[in-house]
This record gives sequence, C-alpha cells and structure tokens, in this order.
Amino acid sequence: MSTPDNKAPAGAPPATPPPPPPKDTFTVVFDGAPIEVPKNLNLIEAAKLAGIEIPHFCFHPRLSVVGQCRMCLVEVEGVPKIQAACTTPLKDGLRIKTTTDKVIQSRAANMEFLLINHPLDCPICDQAGECKLQDNSFGYGDQRSRYDERKRQYAGFDRTMIGPHVIADMTRCIQCTRCIRFCEEIAGTAELTFLDRGGRTLVWTHDGKPLANDWSACAADVCPVGALTTREFRFRKRVWYLRKTPSVCPGCNIGCNNSIEHGDGIVYRFLPRLNPEVNDYWLCDYGRFLSESLNLQEIEKATIREKEEVRDVLVPVAIERIAQRIRETIEGAGPKELFFLGSANLSNEENFLLRKLADHLSCGNRDVVVDKSRVRRMKSKTAWIEGDHAAANYAGARDMGLSPSDGGASLEDVLNGKLAPEVIVVADGSFSSIGDDEEKVAVLRRAKTLVVLARTTNALTRAADIVVPAASLAEKEGTFTNVQGRVQKFERAFLPKPPARPHGELLLQLAVLLGFGDRNWTPTDIRRQIQSEVEGYGQLTEKELEGGILMKKGDFVPVGGL
Amino acid sequence: MASEKVLLARVGRKDSRSIETYVEDGGYKALRTVLTGGWSPEKLTDEVKKSGLRGRGGAGFPTGVKWGFVPKDTKGKPVYLLLNADESEPGTFKDRLLMEEDPHQVIEGMILSAYALKCRDAYIYIRGEFYLGARILDAAIAEAYDKGFLGENILGSGYALNLTVHRGAGAYICGEETGLIESLEGKRGQPRIKPPFPAVHGVFGSPTIVNNVETLACVVHIVNRGAEWFAKIGRNEKNTGPKLYCLSGHVVRPGVYEAPLGLPMKELLFGADFGQGMKDGRKVKAVIPGGASAAMLTAEEIEDCPLDFDGLVAKGSMLGSAAIIVMNEDTCIVDAAKNLSKFFSHESCGQCTPCREGTPWLLKVLTRIEAGEGRLEDIDLLEKISNQMANGMTICVFADAAIAPVLSSVGKFREEYRHHIDQNRCLVGPRSAVPSSAPDLRPSTFDLRPPTV
Repeated sequence: MSTPDNKAPAGAPPATPPPPPPKDTFTVVFDGAPIEVPKNLNLIEAAKLAGIEIPHFCFHPRLSVVGQCRMCLVEVEGVPKIQAACTTPLKDGLRIKTTTDKVIQSRAANMEFLLINHPLDCPICDQAGECKLQDNSFGYGDQRSRYDERKRQYAGFDRTMIGPHVIADMTRCIQCTRCIRFCEEIAGTAELTFLDRGGRTLVWTHDGKPLANDWSACAADVCPVGALTTREFRFRKRVWYLRKTPSVCPGCNIGCNNSIEHGDGIVYRFLPRLNPEVNDYWLCDYGRFLSESLNLQEIEKATIREKEEVRDVLVPVAIERIAQRIRETIEGAGPKELFFLGSANLSNEENFLLRKLADHLSCGNRDVVVDKSRVRRMKSKTAWIEGDHAAANYAGARDMGLSPSDGGASLEDVLNGKLAPEVIVVADGSFSSIGDDEEKVAVLRRAKTLVVLARTTNALTRAADIVVPAASLAEKEGTFTNVQGRVQKFERAFLPKPPARPHGELLLQLAVLLGFGDRNWTPTDIRRQIQSEVEGYGQLTEKELEGGILMKKGDFVPVGGL
Repeated sequence: MASEKVLLARVGRKDSRSIETYVEDGGYKALRTVLTGGWSPEKLTDEVKKSGLRGRGGAGFPTGVKWGFVPKDTKGKPVYLLLNADESEPGTFKDRLLMEEDPHQVIEGMILSAYALKCRDAYIYIRGEFYLGARILDAAIAEAYDKGFLGENILGSGYALNLTVHRGAGAYICGEETGLIESLEGKRGQPRIKPPFPAVHGVFGSPTIVNNVETLACVVHIVNRGAEWFAKIGRNEKNTGPKLYCLSGHVVRPGVYEAPLGLPMKELLFGADFGQGMKDGRKVKAVIPGGASAAMLTAEEIEDCPLDFDGLVAKGSMLGSAAIIVMNEDTCIVDAAKNLSKFFSHESCGQCTPCREGTPWLLKVLTRIEAGEGRLEDIDLLEKISNQMANGMTICVFADAAIAPVLSSVGKFREEYRHHIDQNRCLVGPRSAVPSSAPDLRPSTFDLRPPTV
C-alpha cells in the first residue's frame, strides 16, 4: 500500500485503485513466517513449500486423507488441542506452529507408540535405508523405549505372498492404510482391507483373493515400512548401494517415467519417477519388472557367418564387413536392393540416424513395425492413459521418417516377396515378434546378407549373417515419444559391457564408414539435427527434456476423466 | 424422595410393549398435538431448546442446539435422523429398558424429532447383541405403520417418515456417532475426521443428526407437558429433566432408577427408593459415575456429589451415560483398572496409532502389576502413557475414555498400587492373602500367547 510507485500524475483526478483480483492463494504462517500457498494443497504440502518438513506416514498426495498415523501433529493457533496437519483445512491466515515443546513431545510419543510393537529387524528388512519409520524415528523419536512387554506378532501373517509380486509381513505394519487406499482409489480393485481391530488390526487381502491388480507392486511402493515388499527385489540389494538414473519405461508407448536403480552395472529394480502428466507416482507391474530383462546380454560377441560357419569377430570388423556389403550392393544392383528396418525399441536419435543413413544411400526401403500389445492403462494425476504398443517409441520412429519413401518397399513388401533385397539391416533384433517367427525369418534370410544388431537371441539372430552385440536401455541415452506425443529423455545408467555398444553408436560407425556423419556425434548432437529437421520437434530444449514434460503436437485427449 | 416417574411410567405395566396400551395411556398424543395442531418444525425445535434438554448419551450436548446445526439449505440432500441405540458403555442398561419395555415411547420421540428435522428416513442403530430389543422394535414399528403413525401422510398431516431398524455387529466404537454412521453405511466401524460434522456431512454424505434413545424419549414429554415443566425438573437450569440412572456394583438393589437430574449420589446409593445401601454392610471404596470412560471418584468425593452433567465435571469426572458402578472396600483397584483397560484394549478400532498401541500397552502393564510382577516405575509409566494418548492425539475421544479409569485410579489410589508392587499381592480382597508359594509362581491371569486373528 505504501509503495512509492502509486503517485498519481499531477493534475489527474485521484484514481480509485481497482479492487484487487481475488486471490487464488492463501497466506499461511508457519512458525511466524508467512507464505503464499495454492488453495488446493494439503497443509503438509504447503509446509513443504515453506521449507518445513512435517513428518508423516499415512498422508500421500494422491490418496485420500485419513489422519490415522497421528505423526503430523502441529499446533494451530486458536485451537487448544494439538491437531493433525493433514486433516487441518488450509485457510487464509492460518498460523501453524511446528517447533513447540508440545509438538516435539507428541511426535516423540507417536514414534514410541509406533515402535513398541515394530520388530527391530532392520538388518534383514529390505525397506531399511528408505524406511519412513527409520527416518522419522531418527528425526523425531526418543532413542529409548519404555516398553518392556512382549511385542505383538502375527503368526501366519508374516512373510507371506499375498499376490504374484507382493510379500506381506504384518509384524512390520504400522497400519497407515496407504496400501488399502491405493488399491481402492487408484487401482480401483480394493483387494486389501483391515481385519480385526485395536492392537490386533492387520492389513490383508479381502476374502483371501490375491493382490493381483496390474499395479500391485505400487502397494509396496506406498508402504512406508517393510510390511509390503516385492518378491523380485527382496533380499537382492541394500538400497543405499543403489544408484538412481532417470529413465523411461520400455514396456509400452505410455512411456512411464521411471528410475533405474542399479549398482555395479546391474539393474536391480525400476521405481516410478513422478510425472503427474504421465504416470504420476505409479508404475504397472509389467513395466516395473522388465527391469530384470535389462541385465540380459545374450549376444556377447560380434559374429559373421561364412559358408555355414559362424565365427567370432571384433565389432569394428563386423561393421566394416557390413559397410563393405552395402558398398558392393550399391555398386552392383543399386541402393534399391538395400533394406533398413528401424525399431520402436530404439530412441528417436537412433531411428533418425538410421533414416539419415538410408537417405544418404538414396534408399527408400525402410520401415518400422511394432506389435500391438494388450492395452495397458496408467493413471496420471488427472486421467487414465492407454497404451497398446509393445514398445516405447513407435510414434517417435515414425516421426523420424522411418517409412518407405520414393516408392520404396515396406517390411510387408519384403515378407510378401515383392522385394527381395540383397542386404537387410535390422537395427534391433527384438523389434517385434517377427524376430521369433521362423517362417518370416526364413523370408528375410533369402537376402544375401542379413545384418542384425541385437542384445537377445531369437530366430532372427540365429539366422543372421552378421550379428553385432548392442547395449540395453540402461546403457545409453536418448529420447522416446509416447502415445501423447510427449518427448521424454532417458539417461545412461552405466556403460555397456564390452564389446556391446549402443545401437546408435554402431549405426554411427556404419554411417561414417559409408561416408555420412561424424564419429564424434553424441546423442545430443543428433538431437540438435532432429530439432532442426523434424517437424514438431523444433521447440525441444534439453532443460525441458529433463522433466519429460514437453508436448510435441496438439493437446493430448485423455481416455476418460477421473 | 420418590419423584414422579416420567420415562419409566409404563415400565412394569401389563402389555407395555403393545400399541393399544400405549395409546390407552395417552401415547401418540404428542404426535397428534404437533402434526395436527399446526406446530412447525421450528416451533418444536424451539420448544426442545427451551426445555434445556441435554443429550443423554454421554456428552450432554443441548439437543435443540444440535438440531439447529443442520444447514437451512441442504442443497437438495435429505436429512437423516439416527437413533443411537448402540448402548455399549459398560454399566449402562437404560436404553435397553426403554426399548424393550416401552418401544412406542421411543418411536414417538423419533417421529417427533424427525419432524423437527424435516427428515423422511430415520434409522435405529441398535447394537447387535440387543436381539430382543431389535425384535420388539421391529414389531412396534410394524404396529405404528399399521396405525398410520409411520409411513406416508402421518395422521393426515402430509408428513411422511420411514423408520428402519439396523443391527450393529458388535463394536463399542460404533456408539461414537461418526463410527455409527460409517457402520450404518456398511463400512468398517471407525470414527471419521471432524470437521465436517455429521450435521453437515453425515450418513451417505447428507446432513445427519444422531441422538440417544433416552434423549428422544424425553421429547415426547416435552411436547405433552411443555418445555417449562421439563425445565423446572432438575438441579438447576443447566441440568434439566428426568434422568435414568443405571446403578450397578456392590449395592443392595442395583437397577435402572428414574430421578430428576442432579440427584445426589448418596441418595442414589443409599436411598430407600434407590440402591438401599451397600451390600453386606461394606464401605464404599470408589464409584465410577458415568460408565467405564468416566474417572473414578473416591468415597470422600461422593459425599456431596450431584449426579448431573456439570456437577460431575466439577468433580473431575463426567455423567456420561449415567452408569454408576459402585465398588466396595474389598475391590482391588488395580484389578478394576485392569478389567476396564482390557475392555478398551479390546474395543479400540485401531486406526490411530496412540490408541491402537497405547491401550494394549496399558493393559499389559496393569496385568503385570496385578500378577505380582510390577515395578515401582510402572506407576509413573501408566500416567505417562496415558497422558500421551489423549487430548487431540487421536481422531475420536476413545483414547480419552480409555485413560480415564487408569489415570483416576493411579491418581487417587496410588498407595494401593505401591502396595501391590511392593507386596506382589492385592491390598484387599480374596487375593490379598500372602501367597503360600513364591509370589512369581502365581498363575498369570494374562495370556501371553500371540493374538489369534
């Protein structure tokens, strides 16, 4: 009000100041410091904006508020009793105290209550290291306990599989009901429920039906303690040894943001990485447990088949041989006898490079195909998203121009026999189930030279003339374009195990031998070319890609609102 | 001091349950007065407000004021009236008597109250164990439908009401109004977060009023005899009306007694019309004045203690459901506290940490002391555990109730606890004798096996 800039110009009539626009924020005072917070936040989230941590167990931003764990107790000015922060509605002028003696004592009391029956089995508990009970006990609890009675046990309800992925151990449960609410409110299947009451309360599946929804392992994610763990990760690694790399799920074209959790070049698990527009806090079980498949490196050496004899060669030798065969074909029958097959498993950069190579060789015979898979569904913050492609990047591969051009042939033409190319370059051996189809592989085999870059073996790699070992998703970086047209970046978790190289590097080496490109190009360099050449990708910036929030074209129409 | 019986007037009469005898005794007259006498719902609410009627379920909140909390504009949502007949406070058995012996009084009170709330569907939530009561109420409701006191167009007034009996499944916490609402909706009976309060967002998301059986029975008499008459009964203008007292324990004549609110405790225990004194000429040791959740009073404290809402609050306890449990000098207070703690430990719903973990902890410590394995620091421990369970630490006031017997007994009978721990035996009663074998070999009364689920 007393700012100096509202002096009316001399002589002008004193203007009545326009009424201030209605605020869409509340002013909340945390420990004496006021802060403007959006109206739709929970008090715990609002406190976070103010840089104040309110410890909690049962509160989760996407689940209903139940106020059960009583850990988030704060003092509200004007209210005599201590209040749970999560259930206190935000309003203008709310004054919250989080550091008073009463608050500190109440938190310590709650920690004591939570720990009296909790087993001290942290040394064998998989949650140790990422356990809210550990963290809050350390941060807000008293190190001593006055409990000298027997601890509660749930005979018959410990270390039991309650579904295909989740193992429940009720002795560790703190009854926060996050898992129950997840199954009811997000998955919509409500398999879990409270049984019994009071100190005997336990979480279990209703009527003995298994916890078998498509997102069941998220119940273990939301579990703040080690009561729910996944069979796949149990006892595999102490979590503090895990390194986290932001990535994108390879399972389908929804492109859920995940975090590759790895150590010593081994992928141990995927965890969801928050992206409210795509997968929010969740991952489906199918995608989550693809993590193990990244550790599979079946093609360990480059091989060349000569007169029915397969021999191991060095990767550069194999690539040189491919280049040589391509050169011979162009000189002989011409570029119409070449065929390049991209893959929806490969990044935009890799597919782009393959297309550019084909262009460079004046070859219009290129294609990308993908299997349709079962429809997978994922709940973003606001809507259900459906994906039905068995790979992450079909949209991107198409965008990069991997369709037949200038009267070129498609894969179908090749399989029909319309074109019998001399050299077929398959950029990814597991591009679709065709790689396992003996009949179709036999058709491809008719080529004089069948080249496959691959990580896993299938009929195609067994039939190929030249096989080059390629790296996994965890071993390279790039971008995928999902079903919404959203371009999302995944990063390299660790280096590939020699002699395997990322598909992109192998393709670049080949391209350089054929007179295109620079061997020092990185995925970022190729991305710059995509930005300048591919329609709709112009506004990509590296910074935006980090969050995976860029929309390429149009507005995505969600499949049914919430 | 025999006073006129109002609520229990028809108890003991032949065929007191039938609608014929009820109408014969002037029943459904109040309903006729209101529905055909041009009373507006607001007038009825005002009359109840004027009478000073306070809820008989335990909290003692003014009933008319509670009804006034229903929003004027309900945004098209119906208003529900729920009768809290989940009478499960240990020592309480007054509502059961009203429902089983004079069901039409309860039903008439409900119809009147429903009219005041403009409610078209009302439910009686009766505890599952009251099978007889549920059957009697069902029969009585059928009679009332037959005679046109329920259903469409009651007494030609155009007012319609449906009344349904719903049996609970056996949980003390379903007597808490939001727990009751959850249970009625078919969910697990556990209290809701307040706000929103039931008067705004109750059963099925609609405005809901939950009242006790005895409270609504009083409404009949307020209409029949006027708010002024009702307000004159009782100790003062804050504590008005007739009240049912449930007397149990070591007295000569336990039972349900009706007396004006504010009856002196001594009168109830020793009066010729009431308890007639202590059994076998023993002395009073402690009295629980308001059901298991009320703090115990000592023999000195009951000397000048009026049995009403404010009188007992002044003594640091509460009237609650007016269940007066009397313990004589042979009662081991540790055993009594343990017994009450066992109840609360069994009945905690389990959603809030302090109550779920604290109630069994209290029980375990008390059991240990009672079994002769106590330690002196346990006395302080009991107080400390109790103090960190209540006062806003939990969603509902169950924890506050659960600690009342522990805190009051430790506070008022500390020496007895000390003796128990020192001597490994009770100060009084059958287990006070020095055990013949070593004390720690006495059989434990507590089952230490893991809980079966």
